[in-house]
Amino acid sequence: MSPLLQAWSAYVRLTVRWPSIASIVPFVPVAAVWWMVTELELFPRVFLPGPVEVVRSFGSLVYKGILPEYLQDSMVRLAVGAFWGIALGIPLGILVGTSQRAHTALWPLLLFFQAIGDIAWLPILVIWFGYGLITMTFVIVYTVIFPVVLNTVLGVRSIPITMHRAALSLGASRARILWEVVLPGALPNIVTGLRNGLGYGWRALIAAEIIVGTSGIGFLMFDARRAGSVVEILLGMIILGILWYIVDSWILAPIERATGQRWGLVTR
Amino acid sequence: MRLRQQLSSAFTFSAPFAVLLVLWALLVPYFNVNPRLFPDLGSVMQAGIEGFQDGSLIGHIGASLLRVAVGTVLALVVAIPLGVAMGVSPVVSSFLTPLFRFFSVLAGIAWIPIATLWFGYGFGAITFIIFNAVFFIVTYNTLLGVSTIPRQVRDAAASLGAGRWAMLTEVLLPGALPNIVTGIRTGLGFAWRGLIAAEMIATNVGLGYMLFVARDFYRTEVIVLGMIVIGVLWLLLDRLLLAPLERATIERWGMVQRA
Amino acid sequence: MKSLTIRNLSKTYFDPYAGAHVTAVHDVSLEVKEGEFVSIVGPSGCGKTTILNMIAGFIPITGGEILIDGRPVKGPGPDRGVVFQSFALFPWRTVLENVAFGPKMRGIGRTERERIAHEYLALAKLSDAAGRYPNELSGGMQQRVGVVRALANEPDVLLMDEPFASVDAQTRMTLQEELTRIWQDRRPTVIFITHDVGEAVFLANRVVVLSEGRMLEEIRVDLPRPRSWDALHEDEQFKAVTGRVLQLVRSA
Repeated sequence: MSPLLQAWSAYVRLTVRWPSIASIVPFVPVAAVWWMVTELELFPRVFLPGPVEVVRSFGSLVYKGILPEYLQDSMVRLAVGAFWGIALGIPLGILVGTSQRAHTALWPLLLFFQAIGDIAWLPILVIWFGYGLITMTFVIVYTVIFPVVLNTVLGVRSIPITMHRAALSLGASRARILWEVVLPGALPNIVTGLRNGLGYGWRALIAAEIIVGTSGIGFLMFDARRAGSVVEILLGMIILGILWYIVDSWILAPIERATGQRWGLVTR
Repeated sequence: MRLRQQLSSAFTFSAPFAVLLVLWALLVPYFNVNPRLFPDLGSVMQAGIEGFQDGSLIGHIGASLLRVAVGTVLALVVAIPLGVAMGVSPVVSSFLTPLFRFFSVLAGIAWIPIATLWFGYGFGAITFIIFNAVFFIVTYNTLLGVSTIPRQVRDAAASLGAGRWAMLTEVLLPGALPNIVTGIRTGLGFAWRGLIAAEMIATNVGLGYMLFVARDFYRTEVIVLGMIVIGVLWLLLDRLLLAPLERATIERWGMVQRA
Repeated sequence: MKSLTIRNLSKTYFDPYAGAHVTAVHDVSLEVKEGEFVSIVGPSGCGKTTILNMIAGFIPITGGEILIDGRPVKGPGPDRGVVFQSFALFPWRTVLENVAFGPKMRGIGRTERERIAHEYLALAKLSDAAGRYPNELSGGMQQRVGVVRALANEPDVLLMDEPFASVDAQTRMTLQEELTRIWQDRRPTVIFITHDVGEAVFLANRVVVLSEGRMLEEIRVDLPRPRSWDALHEDEQFKAVTGRVLQLVRSA
């Protein structure tokens, strides 16, 4: 057996045991190319710094305590906004999904306000609440709520009518059905909505921090831009990407799969 | 009969808005809301009419739409062939998928600081952001779409004598089309929001700019007008163009595989 | 229709997880005459699908040769038509367009290839379905489309890879009878892969039994045609042949 085949064989066995490796390995050539491009000075260093500088900057910002603080600020805002988005979104989704009257009255409005988008609200929010936490939270809640509501509605409506009937014929009241049938039945879609909502919320957070922020990763990037320092911008982008990648692939996606599989429902 | 149905559903769709407009027209004056906080219906309509008459509104809308169009077309021209080329080989597509998912996360808004540094302010930076938002997502979805075409369908085409060009046009592109369309729809969503955000800080014409500048002068009627225009534009784009396209490909062909 | 020669065919590949080379097919030789219907039967994993894939040109040969009318096969092509277990119809094309696909690839004009497609759809008694999309049809109907799509291209050899395994038992019997009827009409050379012994005997002139990549035995089937399940159900000769084949398969 040639050494190449042996190496490939070893790699396959490794990734079967630790699938996460397969998600990381593709980035190695990218990092290598990046490093080479910057070493060769294909672009001015000012425009495109190399990985070494970014790592160095990471170290120094952590040391100065700036990065952890900004990270915490961003995370807290996201968590608060996501919490309210979910807490408001799921009940609203269930309402619109179960009541035809609520659906007729609210569905067009939901679509329209979703179309306006969170960013467009920033100017008027700043007039009302200034540059603080309320503005940020509103934007995030606004962004998170729509995917959550829409997916919840989808989930509620895709529960087969036979299940409702079965519950009714077994003596369940309307309220019991909500808890025993509707909520579990819609759960896979709700989780999908959560996942999407958090994805949008994350981006909304960054946008808000870039435009009106005073701290956080988005602000870090925008402030660095003002100072003309590309290094921190790249650092910010990489941190964003990695953080979200980790949360989405290793926390949210498995949860989504687990609920879908557990309930034996095919969601997407 | 069809017409009656369409009119009826249009009516049901607009009814909640009519109610909202009535509430707006009544409540704002009733509570004597400070116009610097929230405008009344009349002043928004006025701002709209003025904006049309002096051409500024059209100018902003045109600038925004142009940037979206250019960025999107450029992105599609690069993304779709690239996605197909990568999706054909299972080894390549599984290797590259994590990369593209990573970059899809950064799509759009996160690029604003670096885009303005590289391209300065104006058309270039904003179009770059739009290109970015659409490119990564469409490439990823195209890759996904091509790689999930069942091997046997491709084999069937080969055993029926399909050459490389026929394979591309008759099998790979139609097979990946639902995913591509979903990608375009998602990508445009990010692009639209990235556009507004970018226009707020990086230019002097466009809907985002219109909103941001109005804030400085507390001209809430312009802000609300802008918000409505943004909402309507996106609704039109999504409902009249993107959703039917998605429906036509996915539902017609009974393919349930989606990214 | 041409003859098919398989000579000392073998297939070995590298399994990265096991870290070793695996032999799927071991020195198989077979002569198929023009217009013959040969069934290859064996338990799962015996290598029959691998052989079919090599004849079709989907996977490369690592030992021996496959010749059609004396010429070695190289990659997939319209001279070897394939019918797949999963039907593999193009969901974005109508039934008619699916059947007309092969002729289209050969450059035949629209009117002519639609005529051909209609002719073959009529053969399968599916003329009414011409304008429908595959996902609108039942599994049995989809597979009939699959069969005539391959036939419409008039291949030298028709390769069928467990084509009826995804269909329910009743439909399967109907499809088997349909297939014999179509075969008697057109007399293509057919290689039919299956794990169902009864099906193998019902359809074929010759049954080849395969086990663990090796050919065990070739058995001639001299039952009269046309064949129907009603007639053969209690036929002594059918039961004898089926019994013999089953014995071979199970002994392996």
